[in-house]
Amino acid sequence: MTCRVNKPRAWMYFALAAGIVIARAWGGRAAAQNAVNPDAALTQDFEKRVADYVKLHKSAEATPAPLKKPTTSPEKIRHHQHELRVTIVSLRSHAVQGNIFTPQIAAEFRRLIGIAYQADARHIRASFQEGEPGTRIVRVRVNNEYPDDMPLQTMPSSLLLNLPALPPELEYRVVGRTLVLRDIGANLIVDIIRGAIPN
Amino acid sequence: MIANAKIRHGVLLALLAWVWLTPGTSSRVLTAIAPLPAVQASAPQSPVGLPLKPDSVRFAIIGDSGSGDSFQYDVAQQMVKARATFPFDFVVMLGDNINHGHSAKDFSRMFEQPYQVLLAAGVKFYAALGNHDDPIECLYKPFNMGGQRYYAHGKGNVRFIVLDSNYMDPPQLDWLEKQLGEATSTWKIVYFHHPLYSDGRFHVPDTDLRARLEPQFEKYGVNVVLSGHEHVYERIVPQHGIYYFILGNAGELRFHNLKASSSMAAGFDEDRCFMLVEVAGDEFYFQTISRTGKIVDSGVLQRQQKPAQVSAQFKGRITSSASAFQSTNLH
Repeated sequence: MTCRVNKPRAWMYFALAAGIVIARAWGGRAAAQNAVNPDAALTQDFEKRVADYVKLHKSAEATPAPLKKPTTSPEKIRHHQHELRVTIVSLRSHAVQGNIFTPQIAAEFRRLIGIAYQADARHIRASFQEGEPGTRIVRVRVNNEYPDDMPLQTMPSSLLLNLPALPPELEYRVVGRTLVLRDIGANLIVDIIRGAIPN
Repeated sequence: MIANAKIRHGVLLALLAWVWLTPGTSSRVLTAIAPLPAVQASAPQSPVGLPLKPDSVRFAIIGDSGSGDSFQYDVAQQMVKARATFPFDFVVMLGDNINHGHSAKDFSRMFEQPYQVLLAAGVKFYAALGNHDDPIECLYKPFNMGGQRYYAHGKGNVRFIVLDSNYMDPPQLDWLEKQLGEATSTWKIVYFHHPLYSDGRFHVPDTDLRARLEPQFEKYGVNVVLSGHEHVYERIVPQHGIYYFILGNAGELRFHNLKASSSMAAGFDEDRCFMLVEVAGDEFYFQTISRTGKIVDSGVLQRQQKPAQVSAQFKGRITSSASAFQSTNLH
């Protein structure tokens, strides 16, 4: 009696190899899912900091009674804006440049602005020029009022499309080459990135 | 000899200074070098009247009005005078409504006082935000913005879409597309502060904004676009089938600031002005009136038949003041 041992056939080797390839690919995919895209992580971090600020803004707004409905009194509008700014500044009296635009987030913003410029620098520059050429450049500071006598620089649409979206309480503005995060209702400079706008 | 030469030089310098300092002369000297606009006025024509047809939509337009000086008040007086014969219901404001400061006193000086007769008569003002306006002006009730930076309003067969061109972010672009898509009115008029086309010397047209907005305007058949910002009056030759107007001199003025261009249908840069408009059926009648009450441009525009169709029935006439601009170039 002979004992017959089946030799592995070619298709078995092929199936084994295919299994290994599939397993590795599956594992790789799972690993990629667990890993975080560094750019997305920075955006998430920025959004969280912005959300925290908006929470503070809303709590501050509750103090001078929110001005939600239009009024015939410009004085009332200005008074509300002033009160809101004072309250927010007192709530974040220790705020410094970089609280929201951390160095990593600022670098990411510079990268995003760079991409927008690479795509269409001519139109973005034209838009800035169209906004208000020759406006005096003032040095803006965190927790200060946005200069009352300075026109708001138009924000080029191409640039806004490339930056993370903001809640309605906040907006981006540019003063000289500085990117400003501005609280609209309080007319307050929340944070800045100096030299964010290319020459 | 030396004394004579000094006198000659002195006289020559005085003459040069006189030519240069005489208002407008320097511009004339400079613009004389520039080529003439492509649109020629053969002779001043009689202004096109406003027909006062039944059920027509009648309104006035002002832009960059908030100077607070006597010139703004003169224009406001002309508006009151015009309303006696052309009873318009509302006024469209193209931004920089409060141009200097934002205090209650500034609102009074640059809006409430100059237009008090119109306001008392129940004339409504619908404002767009300019770059000198604080966005919280949208909470000022007499501007009828409903607390929004961008909004829409309508009258009869006209839909007005008001944009904040200072900050054209993705939510506003989405909103615009929705508004244009849903608008069923015969006329779609969009207005905002920064012009997409302009022949003003001070600014340049916002081509970035143009690239975003004009495709939507074409797609949804916007008929007329109104802007301010340049402190002059200009009617642009229709672009992609859309009629463009700039009126940024209802309070502020940049004297002789227009440069000759083939895209200019008419221009006026020698004084402040405002516009009267009557939309009746498929026709858009307009008169542009100066601070002194002179009709500087007028015409009737036919509604475009379908989106993106260049109107062949453009009937705009260039009247006295358009030729005044040309004489500026001829001198």
